[in-house]
Amino acid sequence: MTARADGAITTERPVFDPGDFELVEKGPVFETFEVGQQLEHHWGRTLSETDAVLFGSLTLNYAPLYTNAHWSRQLGHEQRPINAYFVFLTVLGLSVEDTSERDGGMFLGVDSVDFLAPVYPGGTLTARSEVLAVRDSKSRPTAGIVTWRTTGYVDSREPVLELVRTNLVVRGSAS
Amino acid sequence: MNAPSPDAVTGPATFFEDYPVGRRMRHKRGKTIDELEGVLLTNLCVNTAQAHFNEDSQKHQPVGTRIVFGGVTASVVIGLASQDASENLVRDIGLRTMKLARPVVHGDTVYAFTEVVSATPIDDGLGEIVFHHWGRNQDDQTVFEADRIVHVRRRPAAVTAEES
Repeated sequence: MTARADGAITTERPVFDPGDFELVEKGPVFETFEVGQQLEHHWGRTLSETDAVLFGSLTLNYAPLYTNAHWSRQLGHEQRPINAYFVFLTVLGLSVEDTSERDGGMFLGVDSVDFLAPVYPGGTLTARSEVLAVRDSKSRPTAGIVTWRTTGYVDSREPVLELVRTNLVVRGSAS
Repeated sequence: MNAPSPDAVTGPATFFEDYPVGRRMRHKRGKTIDELEGVLLTNLCVNTAQAHFNEDSQKHQPVGTRIVFGGVTASVVIGLASQDASENLVRDIGLRTMKLARPVVHGDTVYAFTEVVSATPIDDGLGEIVFHHWGRNQDDQTVFEADRIVHVRRRPAAVTAEES
């Protein structure tokens, strides 16, 4: 049933015309970035034992530090830490919507990743980024090149990871 | 029967002393990267770039199919290399100059290669190693390269070659 403008209830179904729907766009275009800009990223992600086991198993990373809790305790941890590369991917993942999500935003490189402190199951990751560099692309006039430094935090306090990465980002004038 | 000795947790030749500078390792096991790795891990780590998980959206893009998230490729190569290079990992320190030379798509197989770039003792129990890792695909093309920094255990004094 549908309410008409005059308030009457009818049994007509609304007509579906794709042109009536405004696209909720994701990901900024190149022109929106400027050096020094600070970006606070969405959602946060609490890491679980399930994440740790899935990630370690699917990447065949069986280092006992990450797969053997008894061994981790012998190395001085209270419980086994989350694989550092899952922390890296999740901090990067949290930043994507505000940085490199636009289609055509080719990955150019990760300059550095620094693991600053171990992360344990139950910890909640959040991330923020700073724009370090913005420049034109000689080979692709429809895009530019942006470098960000992204920092990951656990429970909104302790920085646990810092990464610097560079991507192509399409220009608004080209999309 | 008793449980295995703690000495069995790691192999006998994966301590700091086993990685002289310049040593090159070709790791035996490869892994075919399917949707299981590509899509599941991309979605688990909240990477919202749909080039990694929306096949329809990629039909008219240059590669024409979903591209595996480079972080997944990197993690699989590092996982494969870890079996020989960092069983005795005490701490992951970082990664430098990671490049993805060409796209990986679902169904591609990656193999890992490693060179020891530097090896610096920290104390009696620990050393820092920089590995250069390459990921190569089934067609012998490089798909991933990076330097990885780790802290690994030194061989316990009781079993050093000098003392035995």
